[in-house]
Amino acid sequence: MTPVAGVERWEVLEKIGAYAASELEGEEAREAEQLIFDRPDYRRLADSYARMLVMLSTLGSEEVEAPEVVIGYAVRRAYASAFLRQAETFLGALGRSYLDALVYYFGLRPARPEGYGGGA
Amino acid sequence: MGPRGELIPDRREGSLSLNRGNRNLVVAASRGDVEAFAKLVRDHSGLVHRVALRMLGSDDAQDASQEVWVRVWRNIRNFRGESAFSTWLYRITVNTCLSIRQKESRRDERELGDEVPYLSEPSGGDADPEAATLNAERREEIQDALQHVRAEHRAALILRHMEGLSYAEIAEVLDVPDGTAKGWVSRGRAAMLVVLAEKNGLHRKREAGG
Repeated sequence: MTPVAGVERWEVLEKIGAYAASELEGEEAREAEQLIFDRPDYRRLADSYARMLVMLSTLGSEEVEAPEVVIGYAVRRAYASAFLRQAETFLGALGRSYLDALVYYFGLRPARPEGYGGGA
Repeated sequence: MGPRGELIPDRREGSLSLNRGNRNLVVAASRGDVEAFAKLVRDHSGLVHRVALRMLGSDDAQDASQEVWVRVWRNIRNFRGESAFSTWLYRITVNTCLSIRQKESRRDERELGDEVPYLSEPSGGDADPEAATLNAERREEIQDALQHVRAEHRAALILRHMEGLSYAEIAEVLDVPDGTAKGWVSRGRAAMLVVLAEKNGLHRKREAGG
């Protein structure tokens, strides 16, 4: 295996990776092709990238099903949360009603002139 | 419905927009309809679990998937449809996984040795790369190698090469500029190959040593 010179190793590595992923065009693609043509170790690098990308893509396309426990948990939590929201709303409304009733019972509400829309 | 049994994002317009039925479910769920939410969970649980599995490995994927759906339910009222639901879901999934792996997010990329990394030919000399990928050992190697790639780069790599998203979509999911998304994918790809080659080299040495 041939040593890769200097600080540009990552750049070369990434450039050949981008070429293997068919993401280079024009001059950049030609530069990568030249590197691969000139150096057998870069050719092998490009082959390795291609193999890795196929493996990633194949693995990515494999069917993965979430465990039923995940789905059950999510739905149960949503039901519980919705129930609590409704209970909160209901109890809030009930509390307000009781408060209104108490206010009415003890005559705490200031008297307002009654109007029926009929004008003064 | 796709082969995974989940709703397929409509890519005709180059985005992850979803069909009308799905949009209706999102609207209903955002109004507190648990039945609609349950349908969304069933339709998209595969996507969430798949990404969590790739991001975190099997030990943490289940907890992460559950946490994602808790966050989705909690925040769906704030979903305004400015981005596609699937983009929003990818974003919550990736963010949840990143927060679980927060401690490792500063992990430095592997040092690149003096040699050009490479993967050996699949045993048996099979030229068909797809055949090699079916090997369970390879699958495990990939999953393991992914965990050694820096978290943001891993996320970008997974979204690009395993989920098939465009760079614009990745940028939207990760909430970074397009150029950053591209850089992260590139760096993740290189780092992944370095890790795989290391593992491959160790494997070759073990085999040579008998």
